[in-house]
Amino acid sequence: MIRIGNASGFYGDRFAAVREMLEGGDLDVLTGDYLAELTMLILGRDRVKDANLGYARTFLRQLEDALGLALERGVKIVSNAGGLNPAGLAQAIDKLGLNAKVAHVTGDDLRPRFPEALTANAYLGAWGIAECLKAGADVVVTGRVTDASLVVGPAAAHFGWGRDEWDKLAGATVAGHVLECGTQATGGNYAFFTEIDATRPGFPIAEIDEDGSALITKHDGTGGAVTVDTVTAQLLYEIGAPAYLGPDVTSHFDTIRLEEHPRGVRISGTKGSPPPDTLKVCLNRLGGFRNSTTFVLCGLDIERKARLVRRQLEDAIGTEGLTWTLARTDHDDADTEETASALLHATIKTADPKRAKAFSRAGIELALASCPGFHVTAPPGDGTPYGVYQAAYVGRHEVRHQAVLPNGEVVEV
Amino acid sequence: MRVPLGTIAGARSGDKGGDANLGVWVRTDAQYAWLAETLTVARLKELLPEAGEVDRYELPNLKALNFVLHGLLGEGVASSTRFDPQAKALGEWLRSRHVDIPEDLL
Repeated sequence: MIRIGNASGFYGDRFAAVREMLEGGDLDVLTGDYLAELTMLILGRDRVKDANLGYARTFLRQLEDALGLALERGVKIVSNAGGLNPAGLAQAIDKLGLNAKVAHVTGDDLRPRFPEALTANAYLGAWGIAECLKAGADVVVTGRVTDASLVVGPAAAHFGWGRDEWDKLAGATVAGHVLECGTQATGGNYAFFTEIDATRPGFPIAEIDEDGSALITKHDGTGGAVTVDTVTAQLLYEIGAPAYLGPDVTSHFDTIRLEEHPRGVRISGTKGSPPPDTLKVCLNRLGGFRNSTTFVLCGLDIERKARLVRRQLEDAIGTEGLTWTLARTDHDDADTEETASALLHATIKTADPKRAKAFSRAGIELALASCPGFHVTAPPGDGTPYGVYQAAYVGRHEVRHQAVLPNGEVVEV
Repeated sequence: MRVPLGTIAGARSGDKGGDANLGVWVRTDAQYAWLAETLTVARLKELLPEAGEVDRYELPNLKALNFVLHGLLGEGVASSTRFDPQAKALGEWLRSRHVDIPEDLL
């Protein structure tokens, strides 16, 4: 059995979780996911400003605080916090001066193939991570690998699984899917939250067996709960068809068996089959600039007030790129001002940053010239760039997946 | 009995590019038999009129249905003008909709 924990479900998750997971009980490996589709865009904009950035900086601060503890306890760290610059993050970890053996995984960056994109990253699988761990790495940082790979890689390395042991890989993939969003598996964002204490859920742990089955649990004394319902909720997150495609295996979610266990939930029975011949690529490009504001409309004549505001703003800057929604949050004859108010949201998306700014000015200029009771929830800003996400697919042989071992040796995966 | 769907069903929703996914599950086999028969694509669209093209998948082993709502989020979270651009609360909206549920399932 290998005991793999998670301490992050996104870039911005609970900072103290790395330390909490290391101090809270036994672990073999601690993983953390920092990369959502949106995060790749944020890191892409960081990289434009400074080519040395492009990784999740909070992860480095978390290691500054807790890497010594991990080394002392013999817990390996595996994270995709490398983002767009895993080599840069590996160097920065070396510079912490703790003599940790740091490895990284590269090959996901496909910008030469998609030159018009701000970021273009293939979803790599688990085998680069496995190579790094087999070479004795204490810390493995990657760029865009599938979230579940952070769990599959350590399990595959530990048990020496072959690349065609589909059921085992699928079992570990399902465990990884349960862990990848941190506390969403342990009672966070949970529909039946009233039935548990959801105040401060602990982060999840998967105890994976050689056959790929797993016990989902959490450290003793932590909040939240691990039940068939909390695990089911997370299994349903961000999935499509029951044949869940990944770079290493296709996992069949309609074969998963869940059972309550005194320490959590057992997952078994998962069937796997070969993965597709293509890898998914996450593309982000800059779409233009956006700006938005929310007008508060209180009391009588809500629809007509909304029409007036809309007419005024459109007279000032035109209709191009504007979207309007009127949320009828108002109530008749309400006994508080807030419940007497409706919200009119206006958003502009435009290729022209000046136009995004003009939207803001036009909105402010209505302050004394619009409907009775006119005010806004917050003054509009200057507008910000926005990204457009697109998925693409490339043949797996077109991607050069590499593990850069602690001694600098490069292994083709 | 006419009650919110969430009286017996849990849900979780999220984004994948411009699509949203919405998983709905219940806790007993009898509830699942009812859910699978009742919550068709057509019924889901009645309950969530903002949905466009929808795919539905059955996961009887999890007593769950998974819906993929295509194009709900436009070009993805960063560009969507939708009130909830990552579809985080789509599931809670569905759970709050009132439906007729047989009393022996409550």
